[in-house]
Amino acid sequence: MALKPVTTSDVEAATIELSIDGHTVTAKDGVSLYDVISDTGKIVAAMCYHYTFDPFGSCGMCLVMVEGKKAPVRSCTAKAAAGMVVRTEGEDLFQARKKAVEKHLSVHPLDCPVCDADGHCELQDMAFQHQVTNLANAKQKLIPEDTRSLVLDFNMNRCIVCGECINICKDVQMIDALQFLKKDGFTQVVAKGDTALSCEFCGDCLAVCPVGAITNKYSKYLYKPWQLKKTTTTCNYCGDGCQMYIEMKDNEVVRVTSPLSWKNKWGDRADTAVGHGGLCVRGRFGFQFIDSQMRLQQPLVRQNGKLVETPWLDTIDSLVTRLADIKAKHGPQAIAGLITARCSNEELYIFQKLMRAAIGTNQLDSSSRYGHLNFVRAMQHALGIGRMMNDSVDITKAKVILLVGSNMTETNPVASLRVKESLRVYRSQLIVVDSAQTNSAKLASHPLLVKPGTEGLFVQGLVKSVLEQDLIDAEATGKHPEAFAALKQAVAGFSLASIAKQTGVAVDQINEAAAVFAEAPRAVIICGEGIVRRPGGYHHVLTLVDLAWVTGKLGRPGCGINTVTEEPNEQGAVDMGAASEFLPGQARFEDEAARAKFAKAWGVELPAKGSEANLMDIVARCRSGEIKALYVLGENPLATFPASLGVRAALERLELLICQDPFLTETAQLAHFVLPACTFAEKDGTLTNQEGKVQRIRKSMEPIGESLPDWHVMVAIAGGLGFSMEYESSQDIQTEIMKLVPGYYNLGQPRKVEPTPESYLANGYKVEVGTRYRRSQEPSGSENGQRPFGLIMGQLLYHSGKLSTQASGLVNISPNSGRLHMSVEDMERMGLADGARVRVTSECGALELGVEGDRSVLPKSCFFPEHFNDPAVKDLMPVEIDSITGVPYFKLARVTIEKV
Amino acid sequence: MRIGLLTKKLLHAALFDEIWDAMKVTFKHMFHRPITFQYPREQRTIPDAHRGALGLLRYDDGVERCVGCDLCEVACPSHCIKVVSAEDKNLPLERYASEFYIDITKCVFCGYCVEACPVNALAMTKMYEYSTHDKRTLLFDKKRLNEIGDRYLEDAKKYLIAHNQEKDDQRSREYRYFFPEPVLKSKN
Repeated sequence: MALKPVTTSDVEAATIELSIDGHTVTAKDGVSLYDVISDTGKIVAAMCYHYTFDPFGSCGMCLVMVEGKKAPVRSCTAKAAAGMVVRTEGEDLFQARKKAVEKHLSVHPLDCPVCDADGHCELQDMAFQHQVTNLANAKQKLIPEDTRSLVLDFNMNRCIVCGECINICKDVQMIDALQFLKKDGFTQVVAKGDTALSCEFCGDCLAVCPVGAITNKYSKYLYKPWQLKKTTTTCNYCGDGCQMYIEMKDNEVVRVTSPLSWKNKWGDRADTAVGHGGLCVRGRFGFQFIDSQMRLQQPLVRQNGKLVETPWLDTIDSLVTRLADIKAKHGPQAIAGLITARCSNEELYIFQKLMRAAIGTNQLDSSSRYGHLNFVRAMQHALGIGRMMNDSVDITKAKVILLVGSNMTETNPVASLRVKESLRVYRSQLIVVDSAQTNSAKLASHPLLVKPGTEGLFVQGLVKSVLEQDLIDAEATGKHPEAFAALKQAVAGFSLASIAKQTGVAVDQINEAAAVFAEAPRAVIICGEGIVRRPGGYHHVLTLVDLAWVTGKLGRPGCGINTVTEEPNEQGAVDMGAASEFLPGQARFEDEAARAKFAKAWGVELPAKGSEANLMDIVARCRSGEIKALYVLGENPLATFPASLGVRAALERLELLICQDPFLTETAQLAHFVLPACTFAEKDGTLTNQEGKVQRIRKSMEPIGESLPDWHVMVAIAGGLGFSMEYESSQDIQTEIMKLVPGYYNLGQPRKVEPTPESYLANGYKVEVGTRYRRSQEPSGSENGQRPFGLIMGQLLYHSGKLSTQASGLVNISPNSGRLHMSVEDMERMGLADGARVRVTSECGALELGVEGDRSVLPKSCFFPEHFNDPAVKDLMPVEIDSITGVPYFKLARVTIEKV
Repeated sequence: MRIGLLTKKLLHAALFDEIWDAMKVTFKHMFHRPITFQYPREQRTIPDAHRGALGLLRYDDGVERCVGCDLCEVACPSHCIKVVSAEDKNLPLERYASEFYIDITKCVFCGYCVEACPVNALAMTKMYEYSTHDKRTLLFDKKRLNEIGDRYLEDAKKYLIAHNQEKDDQRSREYRYFFPEPVLKSKN
């Protein structure tokens, strides 16, 4: 760590001057000499260097002459000092570097033709650059290739022992899955303990390997780098919005690579606060769904109970006729639509325009209703901001991070690297509140493991503790004395001891966490599905606002309340108005000015106020028969909702069910029309990530079969209904959005947001705070009673929604075991072995399934991944609907577990 | 002067002088060896460096030389080669060309592919008779190329030596690339 610049943002490092090739250069004290040289724009070859981690100094290529030293020095491990006179060029240095290349080559096999790195190999480039043509005493290592891992092959004959893979795994990912091992007389990279590699499979080691020592099993031997067509696009798996390159060979996706690679190794360490350019396992190895055999190729129309392939023209024609029929017979209120937040902003915009303007109904919703809207609505309500407050730099440079109910390293692995970097480089403290022993809890300074479903309650405990310990910020609370008094009164209704009892965390720990959080100058809150997808999510976000307010963190630079999203464009779905309560630009649907603006722009009368229906209303109205036609775009309610909700009956009752999806989903199998849609790789558009960055997705291949981009189909339907939308490309839609929501794109940069809590605190706060705190104190019925276990359904690292189950690469890594994850303690207590069968009973039913031990699960809880429906654990979940935001909560249940 | 010229002309005409001139050439040919040869019945001796149809070669033990490296594809100036490489499922880690096409109608017989080949799997042979009624058969696939390689192996070897791709000694004949062994899962 000694070579890094002084990176705490509080202390600025001293500036020094030194001379490089006759030019005087200023640099920060303590920086590696290599960094100083590369900052001047000079490229000195280095094979083991990467700016994201500390210099390792093994390749011996970055040699420079320093005045006063007889031999060349390795510039990466040398510290820049004041008054140094450095020479980076010259025949002697060239010869010295050539010798280093020869040294590497003498034990490197010349199997370039069969090597996947051929043409994208630093050693090859160096050998060419230094004109290495003859090797005296070359020898071969003849090490067998390690093919034990599921994803990566290690050919240690080619390894040049640069250590980049080990360093990035240890320093950036903080996984530490690789190590050097001296075996058969050679130092080799092996998985920890020389076993089969089993890690998070982020593939960063693969990206930084300068030679072909680590290769990708999924694309092995399928390509040569020069044959691939490379498209920069945005990942479609989670809300992190990582940039990635899809590499194609003849309309076939061969591999996905990241901006992180040995090729761009020059950068400032401080740049990594924005991101290190890497990907996670889903992005890098989960691309197979794009050109999967399971993709729909042709529109399907139900004829005599069977789905029959039909040409597009006939399909759209009969679809529009039936839709127009229903509209004429039952009015626009008989039609509703659901869209997935994996669609682009342009498509979400067109979707809501189709529903509101062409059809004239406000019964529409997107998948951000599953939780993200809780956050957006609460933040809108309290602070006037409809998204998270901080960007990745703020999170990286935070002093304290409060991570509530978010298994971030699994759900949003790349965003979690910012938390890891803040821990490692900026020495922050991490408070993790979660109902599982997550990876972040293992790294945390304050891991606070609560009982399932009590994360929100714990936050209330923190507020109470802050008030009790008098850690309040007098300036912030002094502005709104009445609101503060109301809050004081509200928290007086319960004691910390009762919170401690209900959450299972000691009072001391709550107090300590509150003190650590309140006293930090830059404190960031990140909440996840444990808050926004559990009963009372909306209120719990408001409680987080309370916590930030009383500790004076609102509006202070580097502080804020943030969330992570599961789908790539949940934020965009809300911003584009694909929610019944919002028009584009997060204008409220009731807002007269906004209504007038959009009515004028679209040239129609908007649906009446009060006619809106969100996701759960739509399901209810389908069930009751009010809604006759449903347009489902990429959503799969049948496989998502518990059976108790009666989704199947509701869908079967529909006169017209239109499903538009790349795959034939469970819902699509019931549909009257199935329209093949493109995946993100076949269309242009933009996605808004959770930070608010609007990033482009680019067309990297021609659509599979006859599938079409979603917006294309929607424009056709609107045209059929007599509402003409004239767009040539997604660019045209963007132009319209730019007019109606000025500044939305903002060149892909997140806009700084300022919280404005004044009106919230001055007006309605007093009334609602009392009920809010009282509400959560009511003990839920079956808690601690006859159902001792908390059953949590959540995400796995290797999957995202149901989409990833179509990616064979990810299924290969993490297949559906069909087993319930239980804590090892519980299994021992109950006498269960791995694979033993148990009967799980909840208020909604019972199910028999196998169990497996999982060290991350806490006693008295169990876990089942939400991506799989076999067995249908989701049907055990009771559904609760948020009274304010309409968010359905069905990820937590109380259950009993009996051995069978 | 005029009469003399006329008499000379008449004399030439009476004696068929031009005919005798032409016949002289004809008769001369009766006394030396013919320059043309009867092509389908007689075959020309072709030099070793001749660039004829391409063939895929095998080692003496019958194993394919080609490792599917795609270098010939990239070296080809007329883009007539297409290689699809894959991993041999029975012999893990062994890269081989699962498909190999040469569109011989496009080939300009420059021999760059042979020079690019790191394992000398490609070579040109002395075979040039592949005219056909169906142009589609001129897209040589891997099977056809292997057949040519097997049939004209000796020609191909001579070609490689003539073009300095391989040395005519025991050491270079024995050289071949070996793939590393895999560490199998059972060792775990």
